[in-house]
Amino acid sequence: MYTKLAWRNLWRNRKRTMITVSAIVFAVVASVFMQSMNRGSHEVMIDNMVRFHTGYIQLQDYRYEDESSLDNSFHYNHETEERIKRVHNRIGEVLPRIETFMLAGDDASIRGALVLGIDPDKEHAFNRIRDHLTEGSFFGLNDQTVVVSEGLARRLGLGVGDQLLLLGQGRFGMTASGLFEIAGLMQHPLRDMNNQTVYMALPAAQNLLSADEYVTAALIELTRENAAGTVAAALSEEFADDNLIAWTWPELIPELLQLLEFDLVGAYFMSGVLYLVIGFGFFGTILTMTLERMREFGVLLSVGMSRRRLASVVFLETLFISIIGVAAGVAAAWLIIYYFYLNPVQLTGDVAETVIEMGWDPVLPMSFAADQFYMQGIIVFLLAMVVFLFPLVKVFKLNILEAARR
Amino acid sequence: MSIVKTENLSKVYNPDTVPVHALKDVTLSFEQGEFTSVVGPSGSGKTTLLNMIGGLDKPTSGSVEIDGFVITGLKDSKLIDFRLNNIGFVFQHYNLIPVFTAFENVSFIMLLQKRDKKELKQRAEELLKAVGLGDRMDAIPSKMSGGQQQRVAVARALASEPKFILADEPTANLDSEAAMNLLDIMEVMNRDKNITFIFSTHDQRVIDRARRVITMVDGAIYSDEVKEVALVNN
Repeated sequence: MYTKLAWRNLWRNRKRTMITVSAIVFAVVASVFMQSMNRGSHEVMIDNMVRFHTGYIQLQDYRYEDESSLDNSFHYNHETEERIKRVHNRIGEVLPRIETFMLAGDDASIRGALVLGIDPDKEHAFNRIRDHLTEGSFFGLNDQTVVVSEGLARRLGLGVGDQLLLLGQGRFGMTASGLFEIAGLMQHPLRDMNNQTVYMALPAAQNLLSADEYVTAALIELTRENAAGTVAAALSEEFADDNLIAWTWPELIPELLQLLEFDLVGAYFMSGVLYLVIGFGFFGTILTMTLERMREFGVLLSVGMSRRRLASVVFLETLFISIIGVAAGVAAAWLIIYYFYLNPVQLTGDVAETVIEMGWDPVLPMSFAADQFYMQGIIVFLLAMVVFLFPLVKVFKLNILEAARR
Repeated sequence: MSIVKTENLSKVYNPDTVPVHALKDVTLSFEQGEFTSVVGPSGSGKTTLLNMIGGLDKPTSGSVEIDGFVITGLKDSKLIDFRLNNIGFVFQHYNLIPVFTAFENVSFIMLLQKRDKKELKQRAEELLKAVGLGDRMDAIPSKMSGGQQQRVAVARALASEPKFILADEPTANLDSEAAMNLLDIMEVMNRDKNITFIFSTHDQRVIDRARRVITMVDGAIYSDEVKEVALVNN
């Protein structure tokens, strides 16, 4: 009956309650939308970074993090792969990579390049790398050809069918040099990598670098992304005696995450201002609802309702307004974001060109991250708690006789 | 044994600035089954006296004893609990919960007492039938006349099975017919169920019905008259 009392009290002034609820709905929708837009582009960035650069987890020699040298690569074969897969049931595919910096060019020009030896089939299954091919074809596992990122190829003035010279240092100071035919060009989704990457088959790269059966990292694909921490810990434990350590993707790119977090500060600030304004409106409603019922409160205390129980009824009223506002707001925000997910805002002009240059679609991606929805609930709930302080103090300090005289 | 006893009850408002002596050494007792009116001009202290008896206000000195239990000095939370289980209130402005039906208004008090739901329902229905509102149980206060609302208030006051009922100007906002109707109901409750009623009133109709009339002037008892038979019964 207390719930019934609180619920009906809410609708004593239907218009006022609806205005307050609408204000909360507006705040929730605006806040979720702003965050969704920001985080949508961040998610694309992170996803590309994870798929093309770090993987969800990387297993490395424990010295590789401090000194990214081929000397700190580790022995990797089919048995190592099987052993990795046995560590945790959330582990999907294992992608071996060997990676080093070399000089790349021809007799006319030469540039520094990141040479990546990969298993093309596994890599494609993980990040659809072949879809980024803009010209030519992709190499197979046993081929001796390379795929060059467009930015690097442009700088070198090379194209499909040309010969690419790779020159550098292999494992333990061995000279590494070779001439490889360019089988294809690709638009790398990470802008920095688009200007410097050369992909080649893992065996060819290992052979070039005098590192047969050695890799610099094994990327671990997960069947559930949020299991990264647990799986990494299990891998580190399993391979501790082999001097290997597993890093999760946030550990591998902390600077990027900090940058993205910083980028979100603007959206958080706007949400804060929005909630502050809405909070005052909410407070106004509860203030009026409380003050206009002081006499009623006095009567309820007179006839035997405890102050605690009376406060809990008022608390329920505050809570109901919050719940209705948040539920409607989240539902509306979800529908709006879903619409823009299906019909993304198309970018035009210079912005679109910049985005295309970075390897992304010229659209505003939206994020569906669950926390941006439930965080609004938590924020409004906290807001309700602050707003509720006023009636709480009023109820506990209420003088029955003074209230009855109103 | 007296159901209510006041001993040298005094109340002084603004003792440090302009003292107002609302009650001066009032010593009274009320027996079970009384039908008493406290009368007097405005400012004579009758409402203050009822507030003291009802535990709504604290005396400056003196004490209030209800059914042998001294309530003066009880903590606020204990007093609220005491009022719930021992005292019924009927107010001049009815003061029903506007969003509750007549039935819910009456049963709400029993819910506060944590009574069994079945018993609560049965008693609320009985009480509303007893005050002649058996067909208005689902009506909310705004859809009822003043007389009907005050009858719901009486049923609500009776719901907790209190030791006595304090009624502050219960007929002040009612027309003649409604007032007589209400008094009839309260008189029947008093006669048949031996329920004690203490009124504060200006209304001659209430005074005529009362079997005891306490007159107050300037915060003190001016007269305390027990009638052989209430005038209306003559």
